[in-house]
Amino acid sequence: MPENLIFSKKEIAFLRELERQNVEFMLVGAAAAALQGAPVVTQDVDLWFEDLKDPGIQTALRKSGGIMVPSFGQNPPTFAGDAVKLFDIVLTMHGLESFAQEKKNSFTVRLGTVDVNVLNLDRIIASKEAIRRPKDLLVLPVLRDTLRTLSWKKMKDAAPKTLKGRKG
Amino acid sequence: MRLSGDNIKKLCGVRNLSLNALLKRAGVSKTAYYHLIDKESVLPRSIDALAAALDVRPFALLEEADRQSRRAIRILEATERIVARDPSMDRDNVRHTLLLLQEKPIERLRRSLLRARKPDL
Repeated sequence: MPENLIFSKKEIAFLRELERQNVEFMLVGAAAAALQGAPVVTQDVDLWFEDLKDPGIQTALRKSGGIMVPSFGQNPPTFAGDAVKLFDIVLTMHGLESFAQEKKNSFTVRLGTVDVNVLNLDRIIASKEAIRRPKDLLVLPVLRDTLRTLSWKKMKDAAPKTLKGRKG
Repeated sequence: MRLSGDNIKKLCGVRNLSLNALLKRAGVSKTAYYHLIDKESVLPRSIDALAAALDVRPFALLEEADRQSRRAIRILEATERIVARDPSMDRDNVRHTLLLLQEKPIERLRRSLLRARKPDL
């Protein structure tokens, strides 16, 4: 299974359980950008949850063997344990609308046997433009070039269909 | 199968490379290059013999490599067209994006995570 090359069995179990528990979450950040074709590297997979208090998250963690470490000081809540070490919790996407609003700007990708929502690249860019951390500023030119390349490809892919239609 | 000087010039063109620059980068001397260009066939005799025994052109045995080459040229040409429309774009970003778009999303993510873990890849 291709998913096994990326996620461990426990990580897959966690994602699958989130799906089973109907937890509202989506992939954001560099991993989401990479899924859409951005030539970027990332150490982790950012998960934006609509409601971190959703009991389904605790159920998924319990079933897959992970835990959530609550926030303290300046540190946001984090996941801990082999099942979830690849995933980072995102509480707020700076510069964007609410989770419910932004879900309209997402699409579903099947990662092996799990369906996950992925935030559109233009919204990832909008968030990085708003937060403007040094690491965001570094990657922004790459993401913008990717978005323009995707627009070009979309336009090009649409063009031959019109021509074929005219011929037929 | 002959080496195509025209194809080489075309590939140089989309990369903004002169032939001299290409030869220097490849570590191929001008003598060696023009020797290859002049050869009736650049393939080992055994390949020609296999093709002859199968009653096909050597090209038929090299289809996969040829297909990959055509695909690479198409990506380079697309890169040139995109950058020509917007010169502020980085050519490498465009080319890498086009390459990644040929992969499935999960494969793109795999590459992204793998390269972060093994930056020397």
